[in-house]
Amino acid sequence: MTMIDTTSYTLISEAIKTEAKRILTDGTVTAVVGYAAARRKGSVQPIVITTPEDADKLLFSKGAVNNLAVYLTKAKKEIPKTGRIGIVVKGCDLKALVGLMGESQLKRENLYLIGIPCSGVLGSIIQPDTELTEDTIAPKCLECDVHMPTGCDFIPQGAPITPELEKKYAAEIARLEALTPAERWSYWKEQFSKCIKCYACRQVCPFCFCEQCLCDRNKPQMVESTPRPAGNFAWHVIRAMHLAGRCAGCAECERVCPMDIPLNLLNRKMAKELKELYDHEAGLEINEKGPLSMFNEKDDQSFIK
Amino acid sequence: MHPEKQKHDFEPKIIAFVCTWCTYAGADLAGTSRMQYPSNVRVLKFPCTGRIDPVFILKAFQQGADGVLVSGCHPGDCHYIAGNFHARRRFATFRKLLEFVGVDLQRLQFSWVSAAEGGKWVEMVTDLTERVRGMGPMVEFKELAMEEQWSGAINTEELKEAYEAI
Amino acid sequence: MQKFITEQNFNTLIDRLIGAGKRVVAPKLNAGTVLYEPLSGSGEMVLDQLPRRSGKEAFFPLCEDIVSYEKEGQKVKLTDIDPALFPETLLVAVRPCDTAAIPVLDAVFSWDYKDQFFLERRNKTTIIGLACTSSDDACFCTAVGISPDDRRGSDLFMTQLEGGGYLCETHSEKGEALLTAHAELFTEPNSQKAKPLAKPEVEKVDLQKVKAWLDNNFEDPAWDSIATRCVGCGACAFVCPACHCFDIVDEGTEKSGKRRKNWDACGFWKFTHHASGHNPRDGQPKRYRNRIMHKFKYYDDKFGQTLCTGCGRCIRLCPVGIDIAEIVGDISRKN
Repeated sequence: MTMIDTTSYTLISEAIKTEAKRILTDGTVTAVVGYAAARRKGSVQPIVITTPEDADKLLFSKGAVNNLAVYLTKAKKEIPKTGRIGIVVKGCDLKALVGLMGESQLKRENLYLIGIPCSGVLGSIIQPDTELTEDTIAPKCLECDVHMPTGCDFIPQGAPITPELEKKYAAEIARLEALTPAERWSYWKEQFSKCIKCYACRQVCPFCFCEQCLCDRNKPQMVESTPRPAGNFAWHVIRAMHLAGRCAGCAECERVCPMDIPLNLLNRKMAKELKELYDHEAGLEINEKGPLSMFNEKDDQSFIK
Repeated sequence: MHPEKQKHDFEPKIIAFVCTWCTYAGADLAGTSRMQYPSNVRVLKFPCTGRIDPVFILKAFQQGADGVLVSGCHPGDCHYIAGNFHARRRFATFRKLLEFVGVDLQRLQFSWVSAAEGGKWVEMVTDLTERVRGMGPMVEFKELAMEEQWSGAINTEELKEAYEAI
Repeated sequence: MQKFITEQNFNTLIDRLIGAGKRVVAPKLNAGTVLYEPLSGSGEMVLDQLPRRSGKEAFFPLCEDIVSYEKEGQKVKLTDIDPALFPETLLVAVRPCDTAAIPVLDAVFSWDYKDQFFLERRNKTTIIGLACTSSDDACFCTAVGISPDDRRGSDLFMTQLEGGGYLCETHSEKGEALLTAHAELFTEPNSQKAKPLAKPEVEKVDLQKVKAWLDNNFEDPAWDSIATRCVGCGACAFVCPACHCFDIVDEGTEKSGKRRKNWDACGFWKFTHHASGHNPRDGQPKRYRNRIMHKFKYYDDKFGQTLCTGCGRCIRLCPVGIDIAEIVGDISRKN
């Protein structure tokens, strides 16, 4: 079993503290969104700090799983949106911020980005006191192409160590694609039937920033709000569709699902199709329009009679 | 004189989402030209294919449709200039998603039918109806709609009868 | 009454009851996740893991129909769901943190309004508790006054023995009836020692002190620092053995449909959203405060009990690592 070396996270944590203290002291930012230790060994919580004294609480570790970009969206009204805000970002989180900038939700000049040279984080923090290995690392980290984020305002020194490991999503998508429609139907039926409609997947998603979700509306009711198999199926299909071409691949939906539904498989499948169809990929370049809000006259229409 | 209507064991329910400018007018032309096509299709008129949200297609299947037809203006003919171009990308993506969750795409047909193509409308509706008839009812969504979480399910025979009697 | 049963006989008992058409619900693996679900055989039982959701589901389903309607012309025909038709259920291998929540729930569901749905399912369910032999650092039952071998809520309580098999102890007529009906599978208890109990390494919390602080600190800056991070999902409430809020929704078409009772959670913005558009709990800190207040103050005010059994599920599953044990511990140390 391959262990993932995370010794660099100690120095990175120190650098985050120093930088946060500096930018809060000199007034560059009004607040910093980062990670802090929680009670359980290895567990980490998101934290918003506004004073230089609190900067010592900040850290980065294998348990720093959250995509903090979610706190900067308009859905999270509790976080002050005045002035410039500092935020600790992994490469995957940065992609989400870039997506939000593309959708005119955030302005680059209002952010102070502290990028993390990231070797990977845990796939689940149900038991946070877990070694980071090829089995416990988040599957998204195995397919990560932004271990070293770019375009940030500050990046602590450190070189991510990323051994070549098997890509789990690609293999699982290929397995499902090879099944018959009926087999795929029963696979997803079983998975979605576990859903309890706690909406954790929606609430942690940086792109689910609608003032009122379509699925919370009842006039007209497009999706049954009851956590029965039928309503669950509709919810997950609509969720995947609304994220197609927008999802940045942070896989938070999948990590937080209390029922272990492999939600990111749907997002990855959509990403794969959009790459094939329209050569779109979530990246670090700000695009004003996503693949589904633009078109090309020569787009494929072989499926239309 | 209408030709004798053939009797079938299964009459599929087909929902057609059409744009008002082209396909709806095309269907109208088929009607005024007294062309015959299966009465299985229920037409829902929209301002543009760009207004046809993928959730409508899903909802149609969930509410008991056996097949869904989505039809609008040919590329370049959109009354709103680009509505159908946007719709094309959206549908291309949505069908990939439906396919991935196990919906048989044979039940979902997209087409461009202009106001002058009454014959093409007839062909589209007839093809889809016959194809879906051959496939049988869309049982997956109907079964799903009947399913309950175990905790809320009441399995007693009496209640099953009571439900069936409703 | 105390009896001994071997593992094999216990499995026989389960299979026999399933064979007799009884719904037997126990921890079971479902698509990779351990949940309380109806068994089709004793082999499906998973006894070494705490299920992701609690046992409350057996009486307080995730969703249930309460009435169905059908429109015929100008008339609307309503059909009530008859609670008499709920299935007889045996809820097996329930951890003490789950069983202890059941008497707590009884209080609210049989208070000013007798909830027929809950009470009838409750009456028809026999609960077999199982002493807990494994815990992790999220467990804190002992902190809130519940022990890993708490008998509260169990009709029959089983303790795993060192040499295999279980010591069974009846705690109600239902438990005795079950034991008597299958007496041949049980033998007299022997002198075998019980497996060591799981002991969460947590400090006992002075719940009266917590309540005293909550009584006076509805408006406190601490709520912001605790819950600004809350993202507003319902994961904590939905996996909780004691949370019991529900929403009534009408779903269907204009021709026919159902009125349903679904789980609800105070973390959702929609929970207190008024038709006018006003929301008295207009931020996550206020919503999370309600969660703590309800568990450690309001429920105590009304029923003299605490609405938390220390199962730790909300700690393990909170997307943003909010730790109720830490919060309550901190409060108890305040003056």
